[in-house]
Amino acid sequence: MQIHELVGAVHEAAWLPWAVQYFFLIGMSTTALFLTFPAFVFGRGSSLPHARLALITAVTTGISGPVALLADLHQPGRFWEFFVYTHATSWMAWGAWIVSSYVTLLLLYAWAVNRPAFYRWGQDDWRFAWLFRFLAFGSPANGFARLIGIGAGVAALGILTYTGMEVAVVYSRPLWHTPLLPFQFAATGAVGALGVMLILGRLFATGPIVEAKMNRMLALALGVVAIIGTLWFAVAFSGISQSHTEALASVAGFTVWQRIALWAAAAIVIPFVIALTLPARSGWFTGLIAIHAAWMFRWTVFMGGQAVPKVGSGLYDALMPTGIEGLMGVIGTFGLWIFLLILYTTFVPWAEADLPDDTSATTSAQTARTV
Amino acid sequence: MDSSRRQFLGAIGQVSIGAAATVAGANSASAATGSASDGPQPTGPKWGMVVDLRKCIGCQACTVACIMENAVPEDSFRTHVSVYEVVKEGRDPAMVMLPRLCNHCDEPPCVEVCPVEATYKKEGTGEVLVDASRCVGCAYCVQACPYDARFINHETQTADKCTFCIHRTEAGLLPACVETCVGGARIFGDLNDPESTVSKLLKEHEVSVLRPEMHTAPNVYYIGLDEALDGRVAGEAAYRPPLTTNIDHHEEGR
Repeated sequence: MQIHELVGAVHEAAWLPWAVQYFFLIGMSTTALFLTFPAFVFGRGSSLPHARLALITAVTTGISGPVALLADLHQPGRFWEFFVYTHATSWMAWGAWIVSSYVTLLLLYAWAVNRPAFYRWGQDDWRFAWLFRFLAFGSPANGFARLIGIGAGVAALGILTYTGMEVAVVYSRPLWHTPLLPFQFAATGAVGALGVMLILGRLFATGPIVEAKMNRMLALALGVVAIIGTLWFAVAFSGISQSHTEALASVAGFTVWQRIALWAAAAIVIPFVIALTLPARSGWFTGLIAIHAAWMFRWTVFMGGQAVPKVGSGLYDALMPTGIEGLMGVIGTFGLWIFLLILYTTFVPWAEADLPDDTSATTSAQTARTV
Repeated sequence: MDSSRRQFLGAIGQVSIGAAATVAGANSASAATGSASDGPQPTGPKWGMVVDLRKCIGCQACTVACIMENAVPEDSFRTHVSVYEVVKEGRDPAMVMLPRLCNHCDEPPCVEVCPVEATYKKEGTGEVLVDASRCVGCAYCVQACPYDARFINHETQTADKCTFCIHRTEAGLLPACVETCVGGARIFGDLNDPESTVSKLLKEHEVSVLRPEMHTAPNVYYIGLDEALDGRVAGEAAYRPPLTTNIDHHEEGR
């Protein structure tokens, strides 16, 4: 039987590239947060260099992500309704509470970790000392950072759960309705976070040892992504999970999707090999590919998923919507993120973020600023 | 109120010449609603639609009537008629029409996902509606609907969909698409009333619903629906609006 759709409605993508940006940024933020734990929660000094980079990543993406989410609402001024009319059967409704908790705890955690440095900068004689005295709230003590960090970690787990489930429960879209999707979001989020950390490490010259360690962690994350991806295809081909089989069937026949699959495989294999063979000298390269891989996965899932008609034939052109709702949304969000990166690394003593220490209340100013 | 436009016009002929069509509609709607004296009828009407595909000619009069009645913005549809060319082995090509609209499901996935309860199923009559004054425009319901029956209205920036023309049915009128249907293919009425035309059609004919595998319990039924068209139609789109530049990317392999 041959069918040609002669008259049919084209349905535009209802979740715009802003949504891609949100899932990309918040995925990186939550996974980067966990990468700060070895130093700032468990107190392992050897992990400090990459934990500092992870904290920069977590905070900057953790702020810009929810801004993108707000922009994806067609009625952003009504965001308060999420908290007043919470509908318990909706993952998105829970998400509103989880996101606000996460961002609050994340900022508190970052403040607590940096508090001793804020205190020291406030004791110096320089133009903005008053601001840092205010930020330090009169003491360098930050032993409670561990507790706040664990709280932020719980919220981060909530984010990873709700973002995955919010999409995975949409059974009208087979490509989304797979139990492995939440794990794929988490694993690719870690890839993106490590990619950003590698780039930051290069920018701030943290050295080859830190770079090699982060590259090895990136290889591990890419390995996990590859395993989940292989499992996804194996389950889809085997037929043991109807939702996976439907997901594959909904896109497998299209040339553009076959190319996307090859592209995705290359985006995993190439940085994986390089990160293992040249761990200390490839940060720019592996980092950029890793960021691209994490972003591309979400773009493919969201925009590509919406390009598959639920009832009609063929594909819609949702893979690259244009105009303010398309490219400008992507550029604008990245612009905000880069601005926050500049702001954070300029005004926050990120390189002095140290292990939480209850005894630091008695520590006096250790540096002198005369700006 | 329980009929297609043709049956509706027939009913007008049976009443006095001075009776306005709207009054006739209102009278039959009242009758369908019932009253306390009718006996133990626990509920009022539950609206549903039967689409008789044997009668649809694909004229899109329903599409236009809906747009005019509900001020549907450009490039969006609350209802439309998909038209397919179906070529079965050894047979001549056939044109197949498939009117699509919200199915006003009894298990609507759009209601469950709405984060602020802006979309809801009306108690009794069963229409799935959107409170546009509460909708945040998150479009989660648009994603959840298996029928692509919802969209974001860019004039109101809220979710929009077919309401079974609730403003008309509450006034005793038929939905605009039913009212205007040239071939009498759309039949609207009370599924709770065993004497209604829709109930009789459901009893007398083999009917299908769209995407039965979704278990949404739709209240729009089809007579004469080919199985190949009840889900996602695996075929080629003969035309896509200008954004499509390479038709090769839109062919589905077999």
